Amino acid sequence: MFKKILFATSATPASDHAARVAFNIARGYDAHLDIFHVLGVPSRGYSQVVVDVKTKERVDVDDEYMSWVKEEVNTYYSKYLENGLKFDINVTVGFPAREILRQAKDTNPDLILLGGTTGDEDESVYKKSVASTTLQKVAKSAKCPVLIVNRPAASFWGGLSNITFGTDFSKSSDKAFDFTIKVAKALDCEVNVFHALDITSVSTGKILSQDDIEQKIREAFRMIRAKYEPALKELKNYSMDVWEGIPYIEIVKYARDNHSDLIVMAHHSKKAKQEDAILGSNVEQVIVRAGCPVISVNR
Amino acid sequence: MPEGKYCNKKPIETPEEVNFLLSDTSGNTYYEEMKSLDVDSDLMWATIQKTMKSRLKTWLEICAHCGMCADSCFIYLVNKKDPKQVPAYKIQSTLGEIIKKKGKVDNAFMRHAMEVAWSQCTCCNRCGTYCPHGIDTGIMFGYLRGLLYQQGFVPWEMKIGAGMHRAFRAQMDVTNEDFIETFEWMVEEYEDEYPGLTVPVDVENADILYTVNAREVKHYPEDLAEAAILFHVAGENWTVPTEGWEQTSLAMFAGDWAACKMQVESVYDAMERLKPKRMIGTECGHAHRATVIEGPYWAGREDGLPPVESIHYVEWLAEALREGKLKIDPSKRIKEPVTIQDSCNYIRNQGLKNATREIVSHIVEPGYFIEMSPNKEHNYCCGGGGGFNGIGFFRKQRNQALITKRDQILKTGAKLVLAPCHNCWDAIRDLEEEFEIGIRWSFLKPLVIKMLDLPDHMKPEE
Amino acid sequence: MHEFLTGICFWIALGVCLIGMLVRFVLYFRGLSWQLDRVAYKAHPIPGMKGAFRSIYKWLLPYGTYGWRTQPFMTAIFFGFHIGAVAVPLFLAGHNLFLESKLGFSLPMLSACVADFLTWMAVISAFFLLLRRIVLPEVRILTTREDYMVLFVSLAPFITGMMARYQVGDYGFWLNMHIFFGELLLIAIPFTKMSHVFLFFASRAQLGMDFGIKRGGMKGTKMAW
Repeated sequence: MFKKILFATSATPASDHAARVAFNIARGYDAHLDIFHVLGVPSRGYSQVVVDVKTKERVDVDDEYMSWVKEEVNTYYSKYLENGLKFDINVTVGFPAREILRQAKDTNPDLILLGGTTGDEDESVYKKSVASTTLQKVAKSAKCPVLIVNRPAASFWGGLSNITFGTDFSKSSDKAFDFTIKVAKALDCEVNVFHALDITSVSTGKILSQDDIEQKIREAFRMIRAKYEPALKELKNYSMDVWEGIPYIEIVKYARDNHSDLIVMAHHSKKAKQEDAILGSNVEQVIVRAGCPVISVNR
Repeated sequence: MPEGKYCNKKPIETPEEVNFLLSDTSGNTYYEEMKSLDVDSDLMWATIQKTMKSRLKTWLEICAHCGMCADSCFIYLVNKKDPKQVPAYKIQSTLGEIIKKKGKVDNAFMRHAMEVAWSQCTCCNRCGTYCPHGIDTGIMFGYLRGLLYQQGFVPWEMKIGAGMHRAFRAQMDVTNEDFIETFEWMVEEYEDEYPGLTVPVDVENADILYTVNAREVKHYPEDLAEAAILFHVAGENWTVPTEGWEQTSLAMFAGDWAACKMQVESVYDAMERLKPKRMIGTECGHAHRATVIEGPYWAGREDGLPPVESIHYVEWLAEALREGKLKIDPSKRIKEPVTIQDSCNYIRNQGLKNATREIVSHIVEPGYFIEMSPNKEHNYCCGGGGGFNGIGFFRKQRNQALITKRDQILKTGAKLVLAPCHNCWDAIRDLEEEFEIGIRWSFLKPLVIKMLDLPDHMKPEE
Repeated sequence: MHEFLTGICFWIALGVCLIGMLVRFVLYFRGLSWQLDRVAYKAHPIPGMKGAFRSIYKWLLPYGTYGWRTQPFMTAIFFGFHIGAVAVPLFLAGHNLFLESKLGFSLPMLSACVADFLTWMAVISAFFLLLRRIVLPEVRILTTREDYMVLFVSLAPFITGMMARYQVGDYGFWLNMHIFFGELLLIAIPFTKMSHVFLFFASRAQLGMDFGIKRGGMKGTKMAW
């Protein structure tokens, strides 16, 4: 299933949850793990100075420094790296999202694995000059599925048996569904197809009557059946559900109720309505809130 | 030790030599070696006699020592009006002394001259417009840098920068393949949002030949996508060259005139090969200065013009907005206090102030734009021009120099600074990091893209 | 003595001055190099001329440029001195009567009252220029012995002239001193920083062409550089 995984890490405790998942997957599926660390953001025009993300110090980057950082990363993960795990460590300089995408372009992994946001990253001066976070950018542009582990609670990967697939019937959701089926077949898991009916007045523009809601739920069910059931029938276990509410909350709730160990959703390249607002798109909210890893599929 | 391993008079020519010099962390050994680098006085004097003609000689001679240039220099002002920072003093005590002594100066003097030439002058040319005699000290410092470069007395990053141009025809180790590959990759990343988005490579007779700054390829490739998007939406017939795509010239900051010539000729060759109607460069000040304003002279073009009409990005953007090729959704205009940084290299030194203000009139809600004071041709340098931004050896002086711009911005009360120049953008970024005054800064491309009113056929399908 | 000063000395001083100025002026423009200066003088004569003219004209006007306006006091004493220093020697009645007798032609003449005023203005302004040199650190650091010499040589004819005009002591002595210093000044012009009396036009024209051709003029900027 996963042969090559790109694990982008800050090699700090902020990435620890993601690391646990990364190493588990790599070991569990005998995949090659590319541990990728963007050590710093270039600074000062064309000077050789970068701000090290770990130490927050301004450093001169040269080959010697790069290999020192590599060694540091190796040491940091040493306990995971024993017993014949296939891996290599790459470090580079640049803006993290861009460099992760560049590495993905060059190495074509099956999966990109990202940790959650670090708290102090938000205060960083570089953040203000770029529109969105590393996570958003990578999820938006990556060609392969992106697995994100944000909360510690999401990091207990004990193999896959139950996947929640959240859909909004869009084209990219179809892609995400294909991926879900692929994973489910390969790993023999149960798939729960789920659609959340958005009843927040922000998106509907009015307050829906209960009849309206139920009518819409019936429609959504019909859509799910038509779109997904043929493929689902090839699986041993599957279920389909439509709930109403705030979509991202409903998905998180649903996944929890079903004891899902993975949520798969499509990332829409289309920008959310309030693009600068703190509330990003649904998938970004799910990533922040979910109790299990989230895979965002883009294309 | 006359010639050092790292620090010597020989320019860097190959990628291997670039890497070798880069391996000397922070140039520590380089600067150590510089202390014993010999001065070839005969060579310097011979060069001076060959290249110093009536203009420079007269400038040095007729300077009335009136001190009117003092207040024009932001580095003088920001260093508590230290008299040693008066432009006339700075040049008379360096280039002036070299001439007086017919080139017979010692190592310590040359290192001092290096410090003055790269840390006390950003070649912003502001003083030149304040001298009753029309003496442009910035130009003289450019000349002095050339003499210093020839003798090997040049800051480490500048030597590397000039070497990059010689080795890669780009200011960073970005190859022609890297450039095209990155451009295509970026366009691919955005083609879902902008159906039909492409990067036309090496198309002959296009309307626009687009050239960039290698740093965009290396670190901010979004900028390439943004350029492609805007050309695409404007319906332009544009292209990028596989060779000669780098518009910048750190060699100009270094005073490596031979490398300047090599670099600019690579761009001119692309123009002659592809025969575009116009060349447009990215949002960079010194790149425009190097390729469009000074470049023709390095390349020996007697008309002082590049092979095809070459304009700055802001000129194209102003035109596209004026002619309606790009339409702005008025509801998306900037509605917060905003100011603009006038880049010395194309505002003071090519008078493009109206272009940037025309753009502002399209993208900023009336009433929210605040001019800095002084502004336009009289604006102060961002504090990091002329190579200052990149030189680690003079970081302290550079950070001091940023204070002028910081205070200018603070006085406007703006929270957003438009900075259509790479150097200014960097300097403003650094000043925010240094002083944390709570501002944001941006090139024009990403802002304009956000507020575009897309024609229906260009919208992505649902 | 008087004969000697107004005779051969006058001719020598005037000749040295005029020929010196002419030679240096020609050498200046011959020494301009389009490639080294990076200004395409010949390729764009019209924008070049426009730039040169605007540059000279605006800088000749008191407060005509941004540069002048930013330093109002300096501008006042600068023009106070220079207007006097140019107008009085050229248009003083006495000078023109002398010129008439020597060369057979004369320039327009100033009334005595205006001449007195301009003279006093020049001398007082020069005093402030001197003061500025001594007091302001940014000017003091630039100042060399030559700067004081130049100021002295340009001021000496004024002082001696005023001594003669107001007949302080021996008129004949002061008149001879005045003529001597005047001629010294003429000779000094081509060889010292005084050369700016004509090289000002050359240098300004050059920068005007530079901006007029390369740095904005051909993009429509109307600034006086």
